Amino acid sequence: MKKSKGISYAKWGYIFITPFFIAYVIFTLYPQILTIYNSFFENYREGLKQVGPNFVGFGNYVKLFTPDKTGTINILKYTGNTLALWIGGAIPQIVIALLLAIFFTSYRLNIKGQQFFKTVIYMPNLIMASAFSMLFFTLFSNVGPVNQLITAAGWSEVPIDFFAYKGTVRGLICLMNFLMWFGNTTILLMAGIMGIDQSLFEAANLDGASSVQTFFRVTLPLLMPILVYTVITAMIGGLQMFDVPQVLTNGKGMPDRTSMTLIMYLNNYLGGSKNYGMSGAISVIIFIITGILSMFVYRSLTKKD
Amino acid sequence: MKKIIALLLTVVMVVALFAVGGGTAFADDEGKVFNIYAWNEEFKGFFEKYYEVPDGVTVNWIIVPSDNGAYQDALDAALLNQADAAADDKVDMFLAEADYILKYVDSEATQDITALGVTDFSNAYTYTVQAASDADGVVKGVSFQCCPSALIYRRSIAKDVLGTDDPTEVQALLDSWDKFNAVAADAKAKGYYMTASFAETYRPFSNNCTSPWVDEDNNLQFDPQIEAWIAQTDEFIQNGYTLTAGVWDDEKNVQMFADGKTMCFFGPAWYFNFCMGNAMDPDKGCSGDWAICEGPAAHFWGGTWLLAPAGSDNPTMLADIMNTFINDEEVCTALVANEAQFSNNQAVNAKFAEDPDYGNEFLGGQNDVAVFAGMTDNIVWENHTIYDQLLNEGLQTSLQEYYRGSVDQDTALNNFYLYVNEKYPTIVTP
Amino acid sequence: MDYNNSADSRKAKAQLTALRVLVYAILIFLSILCLFSFYMLIINASRSNGQLQAGFTLIPGGHMMDNLKNAWTDASINIPRGLLNSFMIAALTAVLTTYFSALTAYGIHAYDFKLKNIAFTFIMAIMVIPSQVSAAGFVQICYKYNLTNNFLMLILPGIAAPVVFFYMKQYMESTLPMEIVEAARVDGSNEFRTFNTIILPMMKPAIAVQLIFSFVQSWNNYFLPSLLLTKAEMKTVPIMIAQLRSADYSKFDMGKVYMFILLAILPVLVVYIFLSRSIIKGVTAGSVKG
Repeated sequence: MKKSKGISYAKWGYIFITPFFIAYVIFTLYPQILTIYNSFFENYREGLKQVGPNFVGFGNYVKLFTPDKTGTINILKYTGNTLALWIGGAIPQIVIALLLAIFFTSYRLNIKGQQFFKTVIYMPNLIMASAFSMLFFTLFSNVGPVNQLITAAGWSEVPIDFFAYKGTVRGLICLMNFLMWFGNTTILLMAGIMGIDQSLFEAANLDGASSVQTFFRVTLPLLMPILVYTVITAMIGGLQMFDVPQVLTNGKGMPDRTSMTLIMYLNNYLGGSKNYGMSGAISVIIFIITGILSMFVYRSLTKKD
Repeated sequence: MKKIIALLLTVVMVVALFAVGGGTAFADDEGKVFNIYAWNEEFKGFFEKYYEVPDGVTVNWIIVPSDNGAYQDALDAALLNQADAAADDKVDMFLAEADYILKYVDSEATQDITALGVTDFSNAYTYTVQAASDADGVVKGVSFQCCPSALIYRRSIAKDVLGTDDPTEVQALLDSWDKFNAVAADAKAKGYYMTASFAETYRPFSNNCTSPWVDEDNNLQFDPQIEAWIAQTDEFIQNGYTLTAGVWDDEKNVQMFADGKTMCFFGPAWYFNFCMGNAMDPDKGCSGDWAICEGPAAHFWGGTWLLAPAGSDNPTMLADIMNTFINDEEVCTALVANEAQFSNNQAVNAKFAEDPDYGNEFLGGQNDVAVFAGMTDNIVWENHTIYDQLLNEGLQTSLQEYYRGSVDQDTALNNFYLYVNEKYPTIVTP
Repeated sequence: MDYNNSADSRKAKAQLTALRVLVYAILIFLSILCLFSFYMLIINASRSNGQLQAGFTLIPGGHMMDNLKNAWTDASINIPRGLLNSFMIAALTAVLTTYFSALTAYGIHAYDFKLKNIAFTFIMAIMVIPSQVSAAGFVQICYKYNLTNNFLMLILPGIAAPVVFFYMKQYMESTLPMEIVEAARVDGSNEFRTFNTIILPMMKPAIAVQLIFSFVQSWNNYFLPSLLLTKAEMKTVPIMIAQLRSADYSKFDMGKVYMFILLAILPVLVVYIFLSRSIIKGVTAGSVKG
């Protein structure tokens, strides 16, 4: 397609992409391989004593999948927590974003003050997640303003202990994730809708299609690629969920570890005792779960009916 | 765009400057930078007030909060790297608490301080020296404070509940756990809480354990004292004698205001300044409405030891600091008089204890030094392990969920075991 | 018929008005939801500890400057230092990420070479791998070679940023046709110079957007810095904020705690208020055509 005019520019292509690949190999690929390698070793620090590295085969994986005293396989529990926290935030995020995108792009509705609303709903996306959850912790703590409001208004005699119940802790985490991401999704989906050929809408209109029909027959199918993109990126983000629950629950995933995510679990091993064996095994499992879920989401959303 | 690039270039230059920076070296055989590891600012305050740093030496504080073992992790990493670290990066002194001092004392990471010139322990309390000695009796550090922990009560509430606020009479009414539990019911009947945290009485029990947290085969074990604490706390929570807050929580601390409804707290001398800020608040506090007595069980809480790391490049200054804080009469006197500390110098403490004019305003003029001095003989130092901090902390956090009604007791204990497994893979949990 | 039509249209109009009211109500509700916590933050950052404990209010307390002074000079949480550290790391990461992503994208966009397609597919594939998967190995390397508490370990990995690369590649495809590239280059001239002096300026909008996004991302990053930065004077803002949540928290006066949080998010908030229009536009520019 491109003519070389006698001079070969090919070497420049290699030169330009080299830094990327060098950095990738040093800072990502090599650590990744090391992580996988480590997962087959017992290797941690206990106080001032270094244990290992000793080769243990699949020992760390076996340990992860061995049920504890109550019969719970904890890694599955944390996977479940992570998915529940992700879905709890992602479903309202995508539904509301889709609604807002339709509102904003509708000529009939002709919403005024769009720039203002967009600015406001996008803002939480840029806020430091750790600061945002620290803020929520102070607002919802037993002596915080929300409880002051609740007791002053007489809705409850005693303060509501938001951090003692699975439902409220998870609810707060989902709410924060929703707030942080629905604005971003709205804007992505808006761009997707505006990219759809206007004549298709006019044609649907002429055929007497209702706006609901237009949405399901025209908008949604054409929006599918961007929707898949949104769901997959949201999912990868969801699986990596860490800052919000970590700071909100001070790393404890309370109550009863029901808001402990996979990355928080990884951090438990990696943060203190530098347990490279167990954290390696957890990383590999997260990697596998991400792969499977991406595949699953991609397949189910792009399936032709 | 140009502006952005200009700005970024400036940043790059600033970073470069930081990277190159550092002091000029003086010709002397000892280091010019003295690195101290600590988990809070408490000792730093005393050090800066009462220790005169030799000319040309810069003191560098590395402060890492202790929550969830973060301080120990940072310290372990630094000590393990001690041999390879540049002279100015070597740990020259570090602080440790009773709950994990053993880990450092019983290791190669610390050195014999008698060899450095700290030899006089005649004035120090025995348990503070025992705690800083390894299995062979080699002393590796000193404590600048002695921490017998007292029952701190609100005088006005004690009058209402017990009919007296006199420390001797109060002590007689609260000198066993049976009496303490019975009074808790009386307090409740009058609309008060006995304590403000479910873990308030943890230390008086745990300090009197007759077995360590782990046995010779590294099995986790619950001492009868720990079980007794759990039983008492169950009862207290069920009957509403205490709150579900942790010992450090805000919810507990608001109980120290004048309008608080709690009669008893437990704590050593450092507790007044460090934790009772609300009680000292000029507007909403109740300074003077407090007093102390020994309470149901002799115990100590915390205490800050100064330990000597092997490989420090400032041995002379290190020894000098240690001697200053246990043997310098002037400094020890100032710690008691100005800082409300109970010093680790028996002679100095005795002086205050016998002084009829000495009294602590916060405690309504009570001579707290005399009370603390009377308690020191009953303190024992035994049955400690290198795991104590995280095990004590982990047990309390896990059980807190049970007391708050989130989980049942078995689940709470199971979560404690999970926590132990993550932190210390070698400990065998039930 | 005309009559009918206008009745229909009147009905439709009423429906539309009702729908509009509903839509505005939803929008206002969501806006309040987004703004409420920040409003509370600003209010509470202006109240003294005593006022905060006295109860809930929506009215500022007038202690903003006291709290600012207390927070700014706090001994254990050195927020000015944290802001400086965060700024240095984030600014340098943003520059490296943006520049090298553009360079890599240009390398693949403008040249034909044997491994071109493989390289492109490879970068696309690694885009979905969660970054935390390499964290364990990365932390191990840093501890082994004494590279903890070293800002470079947080900055340099930014050179390989698949997502930013993808954005740049998309942008080039839509705004930088090969004809322009060919016209811009003088045969035999240094291609590197062509990129720096001609191509980069043409990419201004994309570069500005990615500078901002990668800055914000690095500014807010918590996971890896918290594992690698252990020295107090090296800590970044998110680590300090998380520290507030743990232990000695109860000792703090709450006005100061709110002020810390405000200080942590303020820089990004201010930038956002000024640049929101282009930031929001930038969100979509690279991802839509994909």
